[in-house]
Amino acid sequence: MGAIQDFANYAADSSHWWGNRGILHRSVEHMRLSVCAVVVAASVAIPAAMFFGHHKRGGLAAQSIVNIGRAIPSFALLAFLFPLSLQFGFGLGFWPTLVALVLLAIPPMFTNAYVGVRDVDPAIMEASRGMGMGEGQVLLRVETPIAMPLILTGVRIAAVQVVATATLGGLFGFNGLGSYIFEGFAQQDDGKLYTGAVGVAVLSFFTELAFSLVAPRATPWLRRDRRPDVAPLDVPPRKEVFS
Amino acid sequence: MKRSVRFAAIGVVALLAIAACSSDKKTTAGAGAGASSNAPAKPTITIGAQDFGESAILAEIYKQGLEAKGFKVTIQKLGGFRDLEVKAFDGGTINFAPEYAASMLEFLNGKKGEASSDVAATVSKLGTQLDTKGLSAFTVTTGVDTNALVMTKAKADQLGIKTLSDLASKGASLKLGGPADCETNPFCIPGLKKVYNLDLSANFQALDASAVASTLDAGTIDVALLFSTDGRIAANNYVLLQDDKHMLAADNVIPVAKKDIASNTELSAAVNAISAYITTDQLIAMNKRFDVDKDDAAVIAKDFLTKSGLL
Amino acid sequence: MLFGANGPNSFIWWDWVDRHRDLIKDATFEHLRLTLIAVVVGFLLSGLLSVIALRYRWTYAPITWVTGTLYTIPSLALFVLLVPWTGFTTLTAEIGLVSYTLLILIRNIVAGVDGVPAPLKEAADAMGYRPVRRFFEIDLRLATPAIVAGLRIATVTTIGLVTVTGLIGLGGYGGLIVDQGVNRNFFSTPIVVGATLSVAMAVVLDVGLAGVERLLTPWARRKVAS
Repeated sequence: MGAIQDFANYAADSSHWWGNRGILHRSVEHMRLSVCAVVVAASVAIPAAMFFGHHKRGGLAAQSIVNIGRAIPSFALLAFLFPLSLQFGFGLGFWPTLVALVLLAIPPMFTNAYVGVRDVDPAIMEASRGMGMGEGQVLLRVETPIAMPLILTGVRIAAVQVVATATLGGLFGFNGLGSYIFEGFAQQDDGKLYTGAVGVAVLSFFTELAFSLVAPRATPWLRRDRRPDVAPLDVPPRKEVFS
Repeated sequence: MKRSVRFAAIGVVALLAIAACSSDKKTTAGAGAGASSNAPAKPTITIGAQDFGESAILAEIYKQGLEAKGFKVTIQKLGGFRDLEVKAFDGGTINFAPEYAASMLEFLNGKKGEASSDVAATVSKLGTQLDTKGLSAFTVTTGVDTNALVMTKAKADQLGIKTLSDLASKGASLKLGGPADCETNPFCIPGLKKVYNLDLSANFQALDASAVASTLDAGTIDVALLFSTDGRIAANNYVLLQDDKHMLAADNVIPVAKKDIASNTELSAAVNAISAYITTDQLIAMNKRFDVDKDDAAVIAKDFLTKSGLL
Repeated sequence: MLFGANGPNSFIWWDWVDRHRDLIKDATFEHLRLTLIAVVVGFLLSGLLSVIALRYRWTYAPITWVTGTLYTIPSLALFVLLVPWTGFTTLTAEIGLVSYTLLILIRNIVAGVDGVPAPLKEAADAMGYRPVRRFFEIDLRLATPAIVAGLRIATVTTIGLVTVTGLIGLGGYGGLIVDQGVNRNFFSTPIVVGATLSVAMAVVLDVGLAGVERLLTPWARRKVAS
């Protein structure tokens, strides 16, 4: 197929990999923005979700707001933020795209963390309090580890969505892999087009891969053999909660 | 339980019916074009409009002007750039489009560099190229819309740049912003390289055409590629860098159509009558209404035609 | 600029909205049409693929892998790559939109059916239900919450993605945002109106589907005698 040939030619040309508008720089920028968005979103969404999940109050209102956030189309948000960003001196691309991506990442992280903490067996929490733990300790040392698989699932889902959606930034001056798609389409250059699309797919794949490697290590107790004389922490089998 | 399933099923079928039966306005537009090849008295026209304001306005002008003369006209929106317009002509989806002489010529001749600032020569060469694609042009208008390289007054004064030669000698490291096709457009980056020995590709920022002016104002880019009829050039007091070595050519507005309908005498008379009123000043005024006042293309076109006595 | 005198530069220029009510109405119908086609076709396709995955377990992994890969291709890239083949048409948009619903729906349908407790399925078998009848009357019914959850996510996601199709010339709120907003010097009114209505549509359909779920699962509402 001609298009695949164009792509191969484009990627094979080493001059396309270097410089400010090259494949390496754009990939790094793309990941930099994605990581930043995920970290910011996590630091906002997860503590809030855990707070609501622990106290089991106000969750419905918070969840509704988050659901509405999920419905906001990133593209429209970017189109709106871009001129504002220019006007208030925040420049092209990076900041408006960051804001849009953070808003995109919050809902899945919030939903999963909230459900994860909320659904911890009350008996376990009672037992922990009975052992003398304060509320903060219960949250940190008991609920968090139990909810960890779901929390990580939420972060994973958000991260993959962020990496894919960061491409839209290319339309508004963000120098990531999305720029290849924008330029490729305008210049009818299939090589560039595929470079952008394949590049983002590869980054998404590695993001998923990274999480699948990290997640088991963050919850080692789930894999350890159970010792017969100690009743294991009964983590109920849970289907993935999708945002 | 069976009842609720039945209701749900009826609901789904109803929704499917709504979805399937509502007409897809986009794809039915071109249906009439094919029938015109038998050259009946009044051929049906489908005008291709690209997604920038001036193109939409010109499309509306010809549409309403021709409708007033009894023609049946529809507008087909085209995305992207010129290549898709040519493909649309090939595929029969459109049979008429307002074009720009020099740019169309360079596109069709593979960027050979035949276009010049001599309008007559450019149009004649364009005619030859169009012929090979089964197209032909009507009379050219005097309205010109070329690429314009601009800078903010502050920056231009600061660096002492007034012409493109100045830019070549003093501004080689400046950041150029413009539509994505600047990298391949002979009247943008390649043209600057060839005529002025200036290579701005390393720091080029591809932008959506409408974002360019705001980005220039914000200082994120230093030089912007706009269109010479853009109302913001005057409104924002930009410095239009002089093309002292004549890289830019005669980009006059010129309507182009499929050969079989272009030969229709009634149609060409009507089209040329409209074209006579299209001048550069008119283009600038109409663009300002579109970009700054946010008036609609159809309304702007109607006012133009009424003022010119064509409606 | 934001809340100043009502004019072209305000946040929302209400005069413009008033004058363009027909345009907004057309955009709404077009947006709804694109969404419904995508979700219905996606649901039928996912249903088929789920049944295959449930019957032949080994197919679940490859099916998830393919739909997962489709999901990671950015929507903009997918639409733009399809245009040379299928043009600026509804078909192009729908191929992309349907692809994005597959992963979510298949995963939820399969998870929902798997989540039906084994003892229940065994009891049904013991009562004499033949496999196909059991699947439709027991498994699917009990999987309804998970399936509807998947439909809700798919619908809300699709509504958001339809706005991106504005970039390939389609109508809907995306068309409003791109043609009237972005291409007109970033005129904020159509952008804000388009985005807000898109969110509203998503919320309405989401709540509507939640209502449908309640209708379809009356046993969940009945009080259990203690």
